[in-house]
Amino acid sequence: MTAPATSRPVPAARARRLPGWATSMLVVLVGLVVLSITATLTGQLQLTSAGTAQAAVQLLLPILFAGLGGLWAERAGVINLGLEGMMILGTWGAAWAGYQWGPWAALAAGAVFGALGGLLHAVATVTFGVNHIVSGVAITLLGAGVTKYLSTLLFLPVSANPRQSPPLRGFDSFSITPLTDVLDALVRANLVFVTDVAGILQGLLTGLTPTVLLGALAVPVTYLLLWRTAFGLRLRSCGENPVAAESLGVSVYMYKYIAVIVSGGLAGLGGAALVLNPGQLGYLEGQTGGRGYIGLAAMIFGNWRPGGLLAGSALFGYVDALQLRAGGDAVHALLYAGTILAVLVAVLWFAQRYWLAAVWALVAGLVVYLVYFFVDTIPSQFAAFAPQIVTLLVLAVASQRLRPPAADGLEYRRGEGD
Amino acid sequence: MAAALLAGALVMTGCARDTGAAGGGGSAGGEACATGTAPSGGAAAAPTSAAATKPDASSLKVGVAYDIGGRGDQSFNDSAYAGIEKAVADFGLAEANVKELTAAPNEPEDAAATRLRQLAADGYNPIIAVGFKYATPLAKVAAELPNTQFAIVDDNSIDLPNVTSLVFAEEQGSFLVGVAAALKSKACHIGFVGGVDVPLIQKFEAGYTQGAKAVAPNIKIESKYITPAGDFTGFQDPQKGNVVATGELDAGADVIYHAAGASGAGVFSAVKAKSTPDSPKYAIGVDSDQYLTADPAVRDVIITSMLKRVDVAVYDFIGAVASNNLGALPKIFDLKVDGVGYSTTGGQVDDIVAQLDAYKNAIINGSITVQSTK
Repeated sequence: MTAPATSRPVPAARARRLPGWATSMLVVLVGLVVLSITATLTGQLQLTSAGTAQAAVQLLLPILFAGLGGLWAERAGVINLGLEGMMILGTWGAAWAGYQWGPWAALAAGAVFGALGGLLHAVATVTFGVNHIVSGVAITLLGAGVTKYLSTLLFLPVSANPRQSPPLRGFDSFSITPLTDVLDALVRANLVFVTDVAGILQGLLTGLTPTVLLGALAVPVTYLLLWRTAFGLRLRSCGENPVAAESLGVSVYMYKYIAVIVSGGLAGLGGAALVLNPGQLGYLEGQTGGRGYIGLAAMIFGNWRPGGLLAGSALFGYVDALQLRAGGDAVHALLYAGTILAVLVAVLWFAQRYWLAAVWALVAGLVVYLVYFFVDTIPSQFAAFAPQIVTLLVLAVASQRLRPPAADGLEYRRGEGD
Repeated sequence: MAAALLAGALVMTGCARDTGAAGGGGSAGGEACATGTAPSGGAAAAPTSAAATKPDASSLKVGVAYDIGGRGDQSFNDSAYAGIEKAVADFGLAEANVKELTAAPNEPEDAAATRLRQLAADGYNPIIAVGFKYATPLAKVAAELPNTQFAIVDDNSIDLPNVTSLVFAEEQGSFLVGVAAALKSKACHIGFVGGVDVPLIQKFEAGYTQGAKAVAPNIKIESKYITPAGDFTGFQDPQKGNVVATGELDAGADVIYHAAGASGAGVFSAVKAKSTPDSPKYAIGVDSDQYLTADPAVRDVIITSMLKRVDVAVYDFIGAVASNNLGALPKIFDLKVDGVGYSTTGGQVDDIVAQLDAYKNAIINGSITVQSTK
């Protein structure tokens, strides 16, 4: 089935490079084709089912918000390891406001509580020059401790449980009905590729909530603010070369403060998204389960760019949804998809005359295929960590091209450039 | 490149796939389940409750060391406390003579041992340790203090004369709810969601599977753990519980049993979201009667819960200490002594109680043996 793609090599050294959005679309399209081929040939229909897509959206949301939070802080030169703690603060704030005043208040309070954590991080790292890692870890510990104290104080009387908030009212979910009906018909038509794409789209367009829309909006808004406005240019200059920014009259401290507070607010929104997700509407001690750190990894995966970050969290959410829903068999089918991808990459590199890299890609593809061939299913212990493994693999391949902000994590004192 | 891919995609678009509908309907057909007949057991063996003469515990000072969470967890620790309360009411145990201490999360092992020693030094005897995390510290402390009576819930690894193990036959209770699931399933397809893939939770799955297969040998069972052993977040991640349960429902299961602690809330909400009047879906709770404790919005899908009566074990233990008759305590709190069981709140299993009790009696009188491993 890959014959059309492989028989016509791409002409090397093209005069005009494709614009970024076109490359992204192409990557998504290639991914869909590969998944469609895999689903058809392995019979693992969960790979492209609406349910998997919907679960992936739910799982990626908290990660996406946390990752965007990391992006804002690091673009201004402050490493934010406190994302997890700010997220915990967000879950508590969202639950506390949510059970009293409804889901919109939950979103707002989640952001405010997260921003408070961000403010603390800004005071420590920007004003007092505390090591960013130390302050971040401290805030994560503090977030867990403060919420435990507050829960005993405020939730225990109403929920009779110091570890849990009373249940809250969530958003009503909605679907884009005429469109999903058409897609449903396409899914039932049971055609290769059409059904796969329709299934995924159907999953993305059903069960929408304002939280999902907010997440979908936050990515382009972050991009426009940071890359298309003077404000964003100044903020990013603080992360690349604060001394130069200062010499041009930029108030570096103020921009760092703004960035880290927004960062905390976004992480808090991630916590609110977790509290408002359909699994359990409410706060539960320990419910973040390291999602803040995974958000940070998604940001690095995305090369400190909003689009890449979205791709990273989507990949993580998708593989997690797949392994949670369909287990080792579906992850096993992913090996097949990996083989196809490796062959595609090899062809691409051959065309560009990266001979050695292309051979390595082919060898890797062969190894993956042999594993696929000789193993019936992936043991559950490995399947559970499939999201982490896939992310690591992609990072390993792509890491040569990653570039963090130049002054990320460095201490900056006003006037030190004199 | 793009054109080539598109061409490939278009070529493939033409071919219809023969791998079945993507929706995943499961095995259709109303009464497809080949149901075996319920065993015609002997007379219902009445559970042997406390001895005829009530023990007098008024002179006892009882110490309790809770697991993480402590009182208010609506589960394990609360259940232990319910047993103490009952002992206060029945045995004349003075409430002032009960001392409770709670574990902190991620505390060092020394802290648990210190807590037990502190209770013993204050003169509390007997001392009840709730949860298998006390196994190692208790083995050490109990050897140092041979004159203090200890009990430990959920562990039977300590072989000392002054330590009583309070363990449960979770597989027997799970067997019964497996029977209920098979009888209630219209698609002949049920599911199990485990929190963490550890032996304690595998016992639940094993019993459930055997119970369902006893009713319908051909039944399809989806089984999934949220996290593998070592990653204990599986007990407190309702979001992932929801995803796993939705996956099993999408695969065609229509009754889901969870042994996933706080993640179970996500299982209930998944079942509730997929349940329609035309094709109702059901959930089965665990440990306590979750019809009473779950979010009111999802209660109507909870048909029953597997009960693990920590309260009964604690109550019986105090009674046995008071009457100085520890030998009379059962080795395992099983169906026979009502240490495990199923709940009927909500009335959704009232129509099959006769069959459930027939299986229960068959297990009690030994004509069915439930394995604790798969």
